[in-house]
Amino acid sequence: MAECSALREKLPLLLTESLDAAQRELTHQHIENCVECSDEWNAYRETWRVMDELPELEVPARVKARFLEAAGLSGAAGSQPADNVVPFHRRPSFKWIAQAAAVAVLVGGGFFAGNRTAPRIQPSGVFVNSIQDRGSSPIQPLSIAETRVVDANTISPVIEGRPNISNVTFTDADAADNRIGLSFDITSRWTVNGNPKDKSMVRLLSYMLENESAISPRSTTLDMVRQAYSNPANADPEIVSALAKVLRNDEHEGVRLRAVDTLTHLPPSGSTSPTRDALIDALKSDPNPAVRIKAVEALAIIARSGTLDAEAVDTLRQKASQNDENLYVRMKAAEALKNIKP
Amino acid sequence: MMPSKGTEPGPMKHLSDQELMRIVQGGDYAPASEIYDRYSGRIYNFAFRFLKNAEAAEDATQEVFVKMLKYANQFHGDAKLSTWLFSITANWCRDYLRKADNKAKETEEVLISLPAPSELAPDRTLERRENEQLVQKALQALTPEQREAILLSRYQGLSYAEIAQIAGCSEGAVKTRVFRAMETLKKTLAGFGGRDGVGRVAPLEAGERGVI
Repeated sequence: MAECSALREKLPLLLTESLDAAQRELTHQHIENCVECSDEWNAYRETWRVMDELPELEVPARVKARFLEAAGLSGAAGSQPADNVVPFHRRPSFKWIAQAAAVAVLVGGGFFAGNRTAPRIQPSGVFVNSIQDRGSSPIQPLSIAETRVVDANTISPVIEGRPNISNVTFTDADAADNRIGLSFDITSRWTVNGNPKDKSMVRLLSYMLENESAISPRSTTLDMVRQAYSNPANADPEIVSALAKVLRNDEHEGVRLRAVDTLTHLPPSGSTSPTRDALIDALKSDPNPAVRIKAVEALAIIARSGTLDAEAVDTLRQKASQNDENLYVRMKAAEALKNIKP
Repeated sequence: MMPSKGTEPGPMKHLSDQELMRIVQGGDYAPASEIYDRYSGRIYNFAFRFLKNAEAAEDATQEVFVKMLKYANQFHGDAKLSTWLFSITANWCRDYLRKADNKAKETEEVLISLPAPSELAPDRTLERRENEQLVQKALQALTPEQREAILLSRYQGLSYAEIAQIAGCSEGAVKTRVFRAMETLKKTLAGFGGRDGVGRVAPLEAGERGVI
């Protein structure tokens, strides 16, 4: 019936209490006298009620701390990172006044030349002084609006200072050609294309994992690392070390979870690798139970390859019997132990 | 910009949104913490449900309040502060989804935290998680425009006029989006069994809240 059809379009409005009094009354009268529309109305109401199943999420305290720090009000809220995670000292983000004043310093061979206002962390222990173009032609000064596309093997893997890299995106146009692309804003838009084994690519990725202040780009970088370095041909110990540092130091549990996941996807490198050490550390001391569960699962995968050593097995045993440990972690540890061959 | 020495945080609680923003517009960021406390929960929940990504929701929440300070002079007292903040948030979320790198992550599920064993019985925890995922999946099946409209209407209690302002469309368009969204949700949830599918979902118990 045309009347029913017109009325049914009003049912969501009735739910959201957006009908005026007269329309509301007419709609209710029709519902009471029409079985089909009454069923439809009940289905809408039930759907509406089921939507209550979404719990209200609490905002993690670190978000306020980060916001107040960015606003220059960091003394106003005392939010400390989780006890067992020693956070990276990243460049502060959203210092818009300072950023607006920044100028391109890409002159005479210096690729990155950031300021040194924040304490410098050396992500891989082998950071050197600057990334330089090794091409034969001299590098010209760049304007802020300029966009550059370069090959990773034409630049030196040396990053100077702590440049603020933002707006990171990745490309992998052809999965078969073993080449990836990495685009980012610094003082201009740069795209570095190359082989995952190029040291410039490895160090740019490591740098982003440790220095990007926003969370989602770090997470995106981890996805890219997993995609590019799960191929055994691209195995690189610096990437493994960078991931191990993320697992120990990143203050965001979602990023640490993704780091475990990424480490699990990399080619196995033996029981004494940084991977195994970082996983044991995470299982022993990560404050988040989901990360500890992921660590157990990752250690179980290593165990299946027959390279898990006594310390790892002891840690699993300890966790399985630790009374004050989260029940799910204990269960996972016990399950992992069952599957380890003596 | 620093807080003025004369503006103490305590009395801020008694000031209206408009009064707090006037202080910010005068160059004093002291009300930032109070404004954050009032709205961060709603902003975070909206961004999380819109993007289904906890990390992006944290970034969104932080950046929305940074932008609030940076562009404070663009806020006019004739609109509600919540509407203005949701406008900034919705823009951030739309930009996020536009980036190709982020689209693939929309459906990823990251287990952020687990309840302590004593908080909820394991079977109840699983049931709650299942129900939550059911609704979240149904929301993800909507177009971003429909999802934005239904999240603002159903979970944030905004009027269609306010949603129209945030979405940059007419009130009529918002009504259509909500109608289409409800039609899709009804059908999507019906696919899970029970009476119209939704009957099997256990109701929330009073006072039950929490992240799983």
